[in-house]
Amino acid sequence: MAVVFILLCYFQLSLALQYSDKFTEELVLKPLVQDQIYAHFQFTTIWNVDARSRDLFQSHLFSRALSEVIVRHNVQELHISLTAGLWNYETWGYPIVDSAPGAEVWVWFKDDTNDIDTNWKQLTNSLSGLLCASLNQIDNTNSINPDISFAPTGIISNTLNSSFVRYATLPREIVCTENLTPWKKLLPCDSKLGLATLLNAGPIHNTRYHSLSIHLRPICRNAQCDLASIELTQSVDLVYDFTILGTRNWSLRKLFGQGIMNSCPLADTSTIYVETTNNDTNIFHLSPTPDEYLISTRGGFSSQFAKYVVKERPMTIAASYADKQMYTVNIPPPLYANQYKIGYGQQKGGLVTKIYNNHWAPIDVVVLQNLPWYIPIYLHTLKIISNGTPMKPQKLIYKPGKMREKAHSLELMLRLPAKSTTSIKFYFDYVFLKWQEYPPDANHGFYIGSAIISGHLPLGRNYTGIPQDGSTYASSFNASRKNYFVQIRTEPIVITLPTPDFSMPYNVICLACTVVALAFGPLHNITTKRLVLKVNSDNLLTKLKKFGRSLFCSKKL
Amino acid sequence: MKSHLIIYGLAIFVRVFLIYSDYRENIADRIEISTPLNSFNRILESYYRMSIGVDPYSSDVLHESPLHLHFYKHIIENTGQYLPLVFVFCDVLTAYLLYLFAKKYILNLRIEQYINMNLYLKHLKDQMLNVSDNEAIPLYVTVMYLFNPYIIFNCVACTTTTFLNLCLATFLYAICSGSVIIGAVSLAIASLQSLYPVILISALYLSVLKYQNSMFKAVISVISCISLLVVFIFSSYYLMGSWNFIPQTYGFILQVSDQQPNIGIYWYFFMEMFEHFKELFICSYQINVTILYFIPLTIKFRKDPVLLGICFIMLTGIFKSYPSIGDFGFSLALLPVMKYMYNCMQQIFVSIVAIITTTTLAPILWNLWIYWGSANANFFFGTTLAFITAHIFILTDVSFAHSKHDYLLKYGNDRTINGQPAKLVLG
Repeated sequence: MAVVFILLCYFQLSLALQYSDKFTEELVLKPLVQDQIYAHFQFTTIWNVDARSRDLFQSHLFSRALSEVIVRHNVQELHISLTAGLWNYETWGYPIVDSAPGAEVWVWFKDDTNDIDTNWKQLTNSLSGLLCASLNQIDNTNSINPDISFAPTGIISNTLNSSFVRYATLPREIVCTENLTPWKKLLPCDSKLGLATLLNAGPIHNTRYHSLSIHLRPICRNAQCDLASIELTQSVDLVYDFTILGTRNWSLRKLFGQGIMNSCPLADTSTIYVETTNNDTNIFHLSPTPDEYLISTRGGFSSQFAKYVVKERPMTIAASYADKQMYTVNIPPPLYANQYKIGYGQQKGGLVTKIYNNHWAPIDVVVLQNLPWYIPIYLHTLKIISNGTPMKPQKLIYKPGKMREKAHSLELMLRLPAKSTTSIKFYFDYVFLKWQEYPPDANHGFYIGSAIISGHLPLGRNYTGIPQDGSTYASSFNASRKNYFVQIRTEPIVITLPTPDFSMPYNVICLACTVVALAFGPLHNITTKRLVLKVNSDNLLTKLKKFGRSLFCSKKL
Repeated sequence: MKSHLIIYGLAIFVRVFLIYSDYRENIADRIEISTPLNSFNRILESYYRMSIGVDPYSSDVLHESPLHLHFYKHIIENTGQYLPLVFVFCDVLTAYLLYLFAKKYILNLRIEQYINMNLYLKHLKDQMLNVSDNEAIPLYVTVMYLFNPYIIFNCVACTTTTFLNLCLATFLYAICSGSVIIGAVSLAIASLQSLYPVILISALYLSVLKYQNSMFKAVISVISCISLLVVFIFSSYYLMGSWNFIPQTYGFILQVSDQQPNIGIYWYFFMEMFEHFKELFICSYQINVTILYFIPLTIKFRKDPVLLGICFIMLTGIFKSYPSIGDFGFSLALLPVMKYMYNCMQQIFVSIVAIITTTTLAPILWNLWIYWGSANANFFFGTTLAFITAHIFILTDVSFAHSKHDYLLKYGNDRTINGQPAKLVLG
């Protein structure tokens, strides 16, 4: 018995040594300028195994379900997000993890992958099963492979070849509990212990914005980068509205329905950060007292955080505001964007993307327009106007789509002048689809996905992202860099394509064929018969005619 | 001469006025005028795509041959803002060619009449062409072409149908005079552009046979036309470096994959079609417009290749997959040359009234459907059906009147058999 026990212990130990993986969980709470509070959960698993190895099935903390998918489809990097609501950049600043409304997937395949399109299709199908989302609707008709917008976020072994990246969005996807449950199952502690216990469906979906995401990438294991590891980041971003909560005095229980019962024993660290930067204007008092106050200076802007370490006992955090609410002036972030549709009727429309640069220096950005095949754009109508003067893109990459086969993608590299508003405008035709190609609620409309604007910000104002060389939120403290990479998404657009009468197929077929027959009959007669004189025989028609004449023209007769 | 100058001057003025007015864009956007095949916007788009190194045939924007695309590229680059004037010039040139064609055709008919005079009944002089028709009919044709609103709008919208009409007018002029080279070249160019005119090849053959009286030359004309077409297609291949353009040009015309409404019957039919019947109906519709009437009409009109050509132009105009009013305008402009058989036509008045009515109704119902949302597709479809039916009536009337006129000249107006009233029927 003892031997077995020792063996078991040894086995356990060796496993732990072999798969030295690390799990950290973090929760960031940040009161926003208006009456909102932003909560960001981040669960990071780092697995010290080379992503290139095909043997990823002996996992410890890493989700086996996910590693199987990665190996089978030769995935190098995987980014999925399921989002409901729209992030309001202008007032909320930048999120820690950005995502487009609906479902969004982008993947880098390994550079030895042969048939990317098939792998992509199969991968989205697997992910669809894994997350209970409609990702199976992604295929080549709504996917693009952008050249410059999506660089790998992790390490790469060879030179970059953009033919291995695929991007797709499903803006109509509705995110709900059924996605949250399988998402939580990918966590080592599931939702039973640790911060994940806070993720309860009811309160989460009672928010202005909520987003689930999974990001997987290969990273360097050490400073020399001679070994690689796999990093899996699962995050949840929530924006609570105090008006929905009914009070400004928030607490973990009010936000998530319950406090934390216990920490996750598998987690290396389990931390909660509350941003207290604005605590001098809108004063709130935190209870219990934080374990520590941190000051992070990043890109010339410093912010203050209160840090709580989650221990093996129940805990909650509550903030109570001073009675008088102070209204602060909102300073919008350096770069944000909008997208809208112009034109009326269902024949011709236009799409306008407006990008605002509030910075005092020019910013270089890449704009990606991802257009479904039923939006055939006229590229010659493309007009880029910045502060009233037309400008030329530094680079324009257009990959035309094809009817029923491929989506259109347009990438524009622009240098936004200092303090400018740049609008990108082009026109498109409304396409008439076949009646069976319309979705069940045809008049609901068709979606055009968000435009994506990627750029490097020269300063850290409003910037909350995690640096590329870091894995946890803690690594963003004092992480001053030369510039800060942001990717912002605009609103998706709904257009209502003209519809035929869905009840008419038989009538239309009959009527159109009748018209064809109207030509066929006489032409057939004329070409096969000759004119002859025939004695008039009194048939019913002539009798009727005579009768009619006698009725109406009796005087003449 | 003076009247000609006034007509041409006025026609140019109307066109230029509309082109440089604010209405131009509205006219060019009308689906009755611009179809996916002839829209000038698409030519500009393809030109732009070529200039940034994107293959215009990799998408669904362009459905014309690479040779035509390079021709358009050439005129876009060399004319700049005077580009629409090229279309005006082509339109006026088409009118002049039609004038020449009508003149020649009437002359030919009168010569034939004179030769066959002994076969005809003497008292039916008024059924025949006379000297005054020599000048009058060509003038009518010119006026009918230049002041036809369909043609004016077509020209103002700068559609590529203008060039197709020019080719067809050249072809008609060529078959009137039995010219092998002009006929073959113009027919090959027209077929390269829109595929359907290829059925006019029998008219070319018959005309060369008739006017040059040589079987050899007739066969040569057919062979030269086909080989020219092949040469054009191969040079398109060398120009583009791939066969990509074939599915986007002829494949697109035959498969009708874009359901944008036009005044034809295809768009709603294939929009509402059950997917598994699509192939069957596409095949039958395309056979209907190309092969089905090819041999019967050729045999029927073997003595009058010009009339055969006109019938084929009308037929393809009606049943082509993406017709525009430019095509209908062209066939309407040819009606005055059939003036001699007007009294044998029965439905021409009704048809013309129907055409006018539907032309007025179509934009209204289109607006109700697309812009105001208070009508649906059926309303617009209904008008296009009526429009097409009216044109079919004109076509069948013309072919019927031809036989009737022939009968009339030979056997007179008498409609009795042994004193009993009788009527003329096909039997």
